[in-house]
Amino acid sequence: MKKPANYIFPLALIFAGGLLPVFLGAYPQAVARSVFTFMALAISWDMLLRSGQISFGIAGFFGLGSYTAIILSVRAGVAPVVAMLSAAAFAALVAFLLGFLVLRLRSTYFSITTLALGEIFKVIIHNWSSFTGGPEGLVLPQVVFGGKSSSLYWLSYAILLFAVGASVLFEKSKMHFSLTAIRNNEIAARTSGINIFANLLIAFTASSLIQGLVGGVHVMSYGFAMPDTAFDANYTLLPLAMALLGGIHSTWGPIIGALLLGVISEYLKLMIPYGHLLVYGLIIILVILFMPRGIYGLIKKERSKRNG
Amino acid sequence: MTVNRKAVPWIILGAAAVVAILAWKPTVLIYGVQRAGLYASVAIPMALVLGIVHIVNLAHGEIMMVSAYLTYNIARSIGLDPWLALLPVALVMGIMGYFIFQLTIRHTLKAPELNQLILTFGIAITMTQAISLIFTPQTRKLPLSYVSMSATIGETSFGVYDFVYVAIALLMGFGIKWFLSNTRMGKAAVAVGQNPRGAAIVGIDVMKTYVFIFTVSVILVGMTGSVFMTRQSIFPYVGSPYTMKSFSLVAMAGIGSISGIIYSSLLLGIAEAAINGIRGASGWSGIVFFLIIIIVIAVRAYKGRKL
Repeated sequence: MKKPANYIFPLALIFAGGLLPVFLGAYPQAVARSVFTFMALAISWDMLLRSGQISFGIAGFFGLGSYTAIILSVRAGVAPVVAMLSAAAFAALVAFLLGFLVLRLRSTYFSITTLALGEIFKVIIHNWSSFTGGPEGLVLPQVVFGGKSSSLYWLSYAILLFAVGASVLFEKSKMHFSLTAIRNNEIAARTSGINIFANLLIAFTASSLIQGLVGGVHVMSYGFAMPDTAFDANYTLLPLAMALLGGIHSTWGPIIGALLLGVISEYLKLMIPYGHLLVYGLIIILVILFMPRGIYGLIKKERSKRNG
Repeated sequence: MTVNRKAVPWIILGAAAVVAILAWKPTVLIYGVQRAGLYASVAIPMALVLGIVHIVNLAHGEIMMVSAYLTYNIARSIGLDPWLALLPVALVMGIMGYFIFQLTIRHTLKAPELNQLILTFGIAITMTQAISLIFTPQTRKLPLSYVSMSATIGETSFGVYDFVYVAIALLMGFGIKWFLSNTRMGKAAVAVGQNPRGAAIVGIDVMKTYVFIFTVSVILVGMTGSVFMTRQSIFPYVGSPYTMKSFSLVAMAGIGSISGIIYSSLLLGIAEAAINGIRGASGWSGIVFFLIIIIVIAVRAYKGRKL
C-alpha cells in the first residue's frame, strides 16, 4: 500500500477543481470546460493505447455520442440526463459490436480502420437527412441547465472525474498487467493465459463509452450538432497530441498535456485564426523524436533518480 | 499467357459487371476508370514505400497537397504551364522527401511501429496547418482550358482529360515493377523489406535503400500532385482523404503487390462512380470505399493472414 500522503495531493486537486467556478468568470469557465472535454478524450484514448492499439476514431465515437444525445432530445424529447447516458451507452454498444471485427486487426490496420469507421458514421449522419438533420444538423430548443455557466462547468468536471476514475481503475486493477503484457508481447501474453481479445474488447468499449459520453455532454451544453463539427478531426488530433506531450500510458500524462496545450491553444486561436494547430503537429513530431515518454515520463525519471 | 484457375470465376464476374454497367450507363464505366486512375496514381507510390520497405507514411496525401500548392504557385507567379512545372517541382519534392526522411523518419526505424505512425501523422498535420497559415483555407483553382476536353461516342459525351491519371498509373505501375526486378537498387529494396538485418549482412547499404525508396515515393506522389492540381480545386485538406484511401488500397491489394493496386482501384473507382450514377444517392458514394475496405481487411484477418 502507498502512504496516505500520496492521496492528499490528488484529493486536494480534485477539490480545488470543483471550487474554481466560485473564483472564475464565465470566459475562463468556458475555457476550462473545453480543456476538460479534451482531457477526458485524451485519457480515454490513452486507456486503449496501453494495450498497444492506436485509435484514430476518437472523433467518430465523440460524434456518435453527440448525435445520439441530440437526436433523442429533439426527436423523442427525453430528459437531458437520459440523453447523455444513452449517448455513452450507444457508443459503447457500437464499439462492443464493431470490436469483434476491428480488434482482430493490429497496428496500422487497426488505426486506419478506426479512422474509416468515424468517416462511415459521418457519411451516414450526413445523408440520413430526415432523421439526423443532414448537413445543416440539429439544434436543441434549450441547452441543459438553461446555459448556466457554473452548472455546465460542474457537469463537464464530473464527466472528467468519471474518465479519470475509469483510467485509475484500469491502472490499479489486473487489467493494467494484462494490457501492458499485450502491448509488450502478444505471444508471451497469450502463453501466460491472458485472454487478449476479451481484454482489448473491454478497453475498446470503455474508451468509446467515455468518448460517447463526452460527446453527449458537449452537445447538450452547446445545443447544436452538425456532421462537420461533431466529427471534426480535431477531436482526434488534439487529445492525441495532449496525451503524447503529457506522457502516454498513464493517467497523469494526458492531464498535464491537456492543461498545457488546452490553455496554449486558446490563446493561439485568438491570435492566429487559421493554422494555429501547426503547433500541435510540431509538438507531435518533436515529442516522438526527443521525448517519447512525455513530460510525466521525465518527472517520473527525475523522481526515481532522486529516490536512489 | 497462363491464367490462374482460381481467377477464372472472378474474371467472369468482372466481365459480367462491366457488361451490365455498359448496358445501364456507359459513362459510369468511363468515369469509374478515370477515378480508378487517380486513386492508383496516388496509391502506387505508397505501395512502394509501405509495401516494399515497410515505412508507414500517414503524410502521403498531404505531400501530394504540398506539391499541388507548389505547382499552383509556380504556375501563377511565372505563368509556367503546370505540366512544364512538373520537373522543377519534382526536384523540390525530392529534396523535401530526403530531408523529411533524414530529420524524422530515420530516427523511428528501430522504434516501435506506433512511433512511426504517430510521427508521420504529426508531419501530416504540420503540412496542412502550415499551408492553411500561409495560403488560408480558401479553395484555389487554375483556369486551364485543356482540362475540359471532351469526346463523344454515339450519344454519350464525356471528359477525356482524366484519362491522364490512367496513363500515369500504368506508367508508374509498370515502371516500379521493372525497377524492382531489374535494377540493383530495386532488388536491394525488396531484400531490405524482407529482412533488413539479412540485407545488411549480404552487404546492402540498408539506410541508403530506405532513403532512396522514400525519396522516390515522395517525388512520384509529388508529380501526381502537380497533375492533380490541373484538374481539381485545391485547399489545405484536399490531400487528407487520399492518405486514407491509398492506405486502404495498399491493404486491399495485399502488401507488396503493385498490380493489386490497379485492380483494387478499378473496383473501388467503378463502384463509387456507379453510386454516383444513381440519382439522389451520390452523397453515399463516400461510404462505399470504407465499407469495401473494412470488408476486405476483415476477411483477410479472419482467414488468418498476417496483416
